[in-house]
Amino acid sequence: MSTMNRGLLDRAGSYITSSQAWRSIFRHGYPDTPLNQSLVMMGNVFLHLHPVKVSRKAMKITYTWCLGGLSFFLFLVLTITGVFLMFYFVPEARVAYNNIQQIQSAVAFGNLVRNMHRWAAHLMVVTVTLHMIRVFYHGAYKPPREFNWVIGVTLFLTTLLLSFTGYLLPWDQIGYWAITVGSNMASYAPLLGAQAHNTLTGQPVGVGGPTLIRFYTLHVIGLPLAGAILMAVHFWRIRKDGGEAGPPPPARREIEQARAREMEVASLS
Amino acid sequence: MATTEPRPAATQKRYRTLAVVKQEAITRVEKQLEDSVFVWPHLLVREFMAAALMTVVLLVVSLVVDAPLRAHSDPNLTPNPAKAPWYFLGLQEQLHYFPPTVAGVLLPGFTLVGLALLPYVDRNPSRAFEDRKLSISLFTIYAIFFAVTVLAGSFFRGSGWQWVWPWQHIYFDL
Repeated sequence: MSTMNRGLLDRAGSYITSSQAWRSIFRHGYPDTPLNQSLVMMGNVFLHLHPVKVSRKAMKITYTWCLGGLSFFLFLVLTITGVFLMFYFVPEARVAYNNIQQIQSAVAFGNLVRNMHRWAAHLMVVTVTLHMIRVFYHGAYKPPREFNWVIGVTLFLTTLLLSFTGYLLPWDQIGYWAITVGSNMASYAPLLGAQAHNTLTGQPVGVGGPTLIRFYTLHVIGLPLAGAILMAVHFWRIRKDGGEAGPPPPARREIEQARAREMEVASLS
Repeated sequence: MATTEPRPAATQKRYRTLAVVKQEAITRVEKQLEDSVFVWPHLLVREFMAAALMTVVLLVVSLVVDAPLRAHSDPNLTPNPAKAPWYFLGLQEQLHYFPPTVAGVLLPGFTLVGLALLPYVDRNPSRAFEDRKLSISLFTIYAIFFAVTVLAGSFFRGSGWQWVWPWQHIYFDL
């Protein structure tokens, strides 16, 4: 009985995987041979940002702590939960706060999704910052990766601005006054202080309706779009610059000592 | 179209790009073999596990802790203290020590521009810790300065930006 079932399943499986529809999508067999393991990495648009093979040292979890990858993953989580929240949120000063209350109490899974969006956002600021610190200490910003570090700095700024613009949207006392304090800092800019504040908030003094629509637009399309483009360049350049830098090589002193030992051995023999 | 003259483009020699192999490219044929493994499955499994673990942590935290929502915003009711989001509280704390133009604009601006220029200023080619004592010390001091001011602004400042110990009262929202 069970052997007959397995025979049926096997036959169904091979029927599906040998069909024209399947083979039009996957142009290789299951990746359990070196050839198929190479073809899957080269033939899949999502996987091809990875090389086919990776150095064992650079892959160690304790080398990167997955911080860059986790930042990207959190960006994806924030995009999905953010689109969900957009269904229910209207960026208008009279209804915004009420919308948030409805999301929390009346929308199915609304409270959970809002919580996930909030905590993922704070966590992303943390992972991006730690990623940058990790890259600094490993000296991975050095040639040929100089420009990718610069793109990373702009991504760090984009992350902060995404979090900052999202902070205002619930239109409660926390967000309202945090943005008031934050945007007041812009007005201390030499010469262009008033203009900087006006551009940011859409009004000469304080924070109001024009600020809400500006921050909302930047939060849901302007900054995510800029971030996505910068991320595409960032990831592509990692590949083009030879992948992860890997753990730092030995210091000059150790190299010289090794050379001296070699010379000694050579002179003895 | 009855002309026998070949069109100008056809007279020029034409090339096809077969491959461009850079000197130190990973595709270089004569490169020494390094200790490497296939990305499928070795790296992808690790990435999947990291993403799955992050999803579980995020779900559990979101089920247990609610995102804060205070009273409806009121332009006439300034909270005391009024605090920026936590990652800007370092700047708000520095506003307490330095003139507003310095703490609000010049220091953050210098930090970002300085970070962006770092690879062009630090010309030391070595990546070993031992060879980079100066850059590592400067970066560490700067990072500690920002971390300490963020913590001070978050957990040690109360009404009128007066020093308050966390066990007395914490004025902090996420």
